[in-house]
Amino acid sequence: MRNNTKEPLIRIVKREGLKKRYIALLYAASVVIALGVGAILLFSLEANPGEYYKQMFTFGTINNRFAYLQYENYIKEFVPLLITSLALSLAFKMKFWNIGGEGQFLLGALAGATVAFMVPASTNQFVTIILMTLAGAVVGGLIGLLTSVLNVKFGTDETLFTLMLNYIALYIMMFFGETKAKWNIFLKTDSERPQFAKIPETGRMFKIQIGDFSLEISLIFTLLLVAFIFIYLTRTKHGYEISVVGDSINTARYSGMKVNKIICRTMFLSAALIGAAGALRVSSVESLSTSITNDVGWTGIIVAWLAKLNPIGIVIVTALITILQCGCVTASVSANNVDSHFADLLQGIILFIILAADFFIRFKIVIRKRNKSEKNTSEKEETV
Amino acid sequence: MKDQSIYAIELENITKTFGRIVANKNINLNVKQGEILALLGENGSGKTTLMNMLSGIYKPDSGTIKVDGVPVSIHSPEDSKKFGIGMVHQHFKLVEVFSAADNIWMGTEHTGFILKKDRYNKISEISNKFGFEFNPKKLVSNMSVSEKQTLEILRVLYYGAKVIILDEPTAVLTVQEIQKLFDVLRKMKEEGHSIIIITHKLNEVMEISDRVTILRKGEYIDTVNTSETSEQELTDLMVGRKVNLNIQRPVTEFDRPLLEIRNLTIKNDEGSNAIEDVNFYIRGGEILGVAGIAGCGQKELCEAIAGLRKVEKGQINHKGENIVGLAPKTIIEKGISMSFIPEDRLGMGLAPSLSITDNMILKTYRDNKKTPFVDRKTAKAKAEEIIKKLGVVTPSAETPVRRLSGGNVQKVLVGREIDAGPNVIITAYPVRGLDINSSYAIYDILNEQKKNGVGILFVGEDLDVMLALCDKIMVLCHGKLMGVVHAHKTTKEELGLMMTGAKNISEVNGKIAGIAKDSRIQNAEEEDNA
Repeated sequence: MRNNTKEPLIRIVKREGLKKRYIALLYAASVVIALGVGAILLFSLEANPGEYYKQMFTFGTINNRFAYLQYENYIKEFVPLLITSLALSLAFKMKFWNIGGEGQFLLGALAGATVAFMVPASTNQFVTIILMTLAGAVVGGLIGLLTSVLNVKFGTDETLFTLMLNYIALYIMMFFGETKAKWNIFLKTDSERPQFAKIPETGRMFKIQIGDFSLEISLIFTLLLVAFIFIYLTRTKHGYEISVVGDSINTARYSGMKVNKIICRTMFLSAALIGAAGALRVSSVESLSTSITNDVGWTGIIVAWLAKLNPIGIVIVTALITILQCGCVTASVSANNVDSHFADLLQGIILFIILAADFFIRFKIVIRKRNKSEKNTSEKEETV
Repeated sequence: MKDQSIYAIELENITKTFGRIVANKNINLNVKQGEILALLGENGSGKTTLMNMLSGIYKPDSGTIKVDGVPVSIHSPEDSKKFGIGMVHQHFKLVEVFSAADNIWMGTEHTGFILKKDRYNKISEISNKFGFEFNPKKLVSNMSVSEKQTLEILRVLYYGAKVIILDEPTAVLTVQEIQKLFDVLRKMKEEGHSIIIITHKLNEVMEISDRVTILRKGEYIDTVNTSETSEQELTDLMVGRKVNLNIQRPVTEFDRPLLEIRNLTIKNDEGSNAIEDVNFYIRGGEILGVAGIAGCGQKELCEAIAGLRKVEKGQINHKGENIVGLAPKTIIEKGISMSFIPEDRLGMGLAPSLSITDNMILKTYRDNKKTPFVDRKTAKAKAEEIIKKLGVVTPSAETPVRRLSGGNVQKVLVGREIDAGPNVIITAYPVRGLDINSSYAIYDILNEQKKNGVGILFVGEDLDVMLALCDKIMVLCHGKLMGVVHAHKTTKEELGLMMTGAKNISEVNGKIAGIAKDSRIQNAEEEDNA
């Protein structure tokens, strides 16, 4: 009594050595497929997908007298997401799971705002912004340092720790936003209801005027940062240490690296950059708010992974995701059946399909051949 | 007894690929009832892959598997069990906190809701039949390696397996234990069981098997009758060309002791003593072998010398200076090189995802204090030099180390360590799982270093190799030194007895083994007492 079970219909086989061109094509195809799925959804919402996507990809700059405002807005969103994603990639490369970007960003913003409110109004705008950025970086960095020191000394779980700090940071921000008191410098003095005040003029983002368009200097800082991180990770000893620690902590110890120091240093840098991003964001939007992060701490994780932790890749992915977010807001204005949150949905669909593409890059699916006579099977497969 | 002309297992034209790698190509293999077949091949020749297809872990891409002459297809270990095939893996698959009997019952079907007492009887029955000494109520965590192996074998017998596959069963056993295992295998053979045994060791093949099937680079080479072949012929078939099986032991002039270990005690991760009050020394131009059953303090000893593990007591003296408590980096700078090849071969010493180039500079990247940048140009030149010198097979110096095969990974590691110009080399299992060719390449490298006056501590598994290569051998048993013997004056049997603790010559007539006459440690006694 033997059960001669047949070969299963579908099986998964590992594959290796795909050409880079083909991989790029697969990713491009997955974005197209995602947009296709989005189009069906849009259609079901009685919106015109063609029109919607056109609006989305141009984020309302066509035939718009105020197109420069759209570009300015785009940069406002682009900068914090880019810095945060870069910063997270530093920690991720070391396999240190910093998912506390939200909290580090919030507290960095709070620190930046504190500086803006505290310095004399006569202070040079440039100096104030630098001081704000430094304050944000220090506060963010200290939180990062706390997480990593506890991790290396007592083995606390950095994932849980950074996650929980997100809520602590959020409630601190809410506390300042809702407590009406004399000492609370962050609130409007002339309002009965507790409400965050605009930050003083000296703390607002420095802009370079190009015609109607005003360029926030934070963009230049960010692009310099990309170059710095790229060199830091690929050329320097620190970057080398990060990749060894991320790859094999035992090997790092064995080769005489001070692993604990490296973890703390890198985590400090990662969180400090996010804190600085928070401070720059305050300077850019000119006011605190509990939703000031615009979820960059979360989106940044997605960006870092989609870009495979490559700094140049991060720039590209950030640019695309920001188009998606800005574009969906403008597109939903023109298609009144579609909520602006459609961006989140579309982002989810794209992510899902790219992950599926990842699967197809690593594996292929073999379907059982339909051979009527079992005897032919082995002969046929040999010739393959 | 069934008809002898029908094979218990027949594999015909089995092919299995992983991506672009062809692990098995048109392999033919058959086993009769009541026969012991040895499966021989270098590393990466596809032995384990082939056997995993019999045990249902992998599925062949093409080819036929026949059990008792009937074509079958095996999808899972359960299927395999149904067909009467049992495999004892290299790494045991046991639940540590369960008793032996519970581990056996765990996998059986139709056990009913209530555990019945008579199962103990069935286990005892099987163990008596095959001559095992076995207590079914003992906890696995209290078992020695050989007892665990016995349990694995008992388990497959309990399932009623008629075909038993053993993947390198002797690698973890002492000489005496191997003999016991072989007695059991012979009894199983008499009972009509078919046995397939995977091993690297030619003397064992000659001793136990009836026939030998040889694979090379995933291809079927030949099947020969053991009685009509020799070790030399098997090696030539396995490697594909003539190989000289003699290991050199060049005579060198000994220096004063380079590294002296005195009263060393180290704890393991669980907090018990891994190494207890051990003395030994290495001279320049000498290879000192460390023999012992797996896991009796070798790893902890290596880690302690490299500064990676805390020393509880005693001293490690390098050229007259105590290096206990120094940072790993400082110890590296003193010219002490440690390379430990763990079971997975990548755990310590290499960063698997990084390129060969990047792995070259693991210990030296920080040497140039003037620049914050890593010097990859020199690193690449060095990588290419080592690739050429040691014949590392790799597409380029930029290939991640994990993509290389085991032998090449080890060559990269050993090449880097020797390139650093150390004066003491601590090397543990440098030929672990390597094929004959690569192993000999590594012995040659070590001998060359020895001639240059380097002191070498060689932690090994294969006693034959250690007897041929080392000048002296120290034997550890449960972290205690059993004695230090001259390799040319001792025998495998003596080493075996010392490894199990049956013979202790660490202190003979008041003379303590492992303390050099011309020691550089002065007043060691006073220092210890202080």
